[in-house]
Amino acid sequence: MLKKKDREAFKIIVETWQDMVYNTALGLLQNAEDAEDTAQEVFMQVYDSITTFKEESKFSTWLYRITVSKSLDHIRKKKRKKRFAFVQSLYGKNDELLNDPPDFFHPGVKMENKERAAVLFKSVEKLPANQKTAFILNKTEGLSYGEIGEIMKLSSSAVDALLQRAKKNLQINLKEYYELSIK
Amino acid sequence: MQENINNKIKDALNSLDGMGQASAKPFFFTRLEARMQKERNTWEKISSFFARPAIAFACICLVIMINAAVIFSSQNTHTNVTGQNDENATVDEYSQVSSSFYEFVNTKP
Repeated sequence: MLKKKDREAFKIIVETWQDMVYNTALGLLQNAEDAEDTAQEVFMQVYDSITTFKEESKFSTWLYRITVSKSLDHIRKKKRKKRFAFVQSLYGKNDELLNDPPDFFHPGVKMENKERAAVLFKSVEKLPANQKTAFILNKTEGLSYGEIGEIMKLSSSAVDALLQRAKKNLQINLKEYYELSIK
Repeated sequence: MQENINNKIKDALNSLDGMGQASAKPFFFTRLEARMQKERNTWEKISSFFARPAIAFACICLVIMINAAVIFSSQNTHTNVTGQNDENATVDEYSQVSSSFYEFVNTKP
């Protein structure tokens, strides 16, 4: 039905998967507006390229792949903008983009963990893209190593290694943060 | 103090355990449809602009002119190179050592 660009079929697809796509994008981007924007782009791509979906993998895996790649693209664009703003600021123009982003509070986190989770998300932001992706899919979406492996086209043991490295890096980042905050 | 930091790190790492899923804002599909319509309209405007007979004809003329310019300039370069080669060949053939009339006439000191 959707392959024939049927509006109702597309609506059902969007309403079934919108929270999953939004939640994944939100974890990676840590900004509600950016996540909404990216989620819309994901579904636009789904609509345009549904005919190329070969059903070799699960629909959710395909959707996760698009979401992750769109989110990482968004992060890259934002970094480029920041760099450009830095160059502009050297010449005395606006430098508001250089300011540290405000703490991110994920709406799904339990109330008593909000502050600690905000610190953790700040550290997650500094991780390399593949470690960040594996960590977010595991923690915010609750996916198994096998499912993450399917999305990232890696073996389960490779995902395990990636998550171990991510945790190690997070420990280093958090240690730096807490040591500085005590001083 | 080190133990305190280690505990904080541990707590932070466990802070996402049992978290819920964030939901997209209500009327997500309506906003998505509006955006798709807007982008489709933009593309339609661009394609209809290039589909106008005058614009399409101008574009075709431009492409032909660029092609002609490239072909003409490459032919010129080829002619120049060939002319230079002919000249060199003549010089070699007649072993012209002196290049000026004065060198040839003023042989006496």
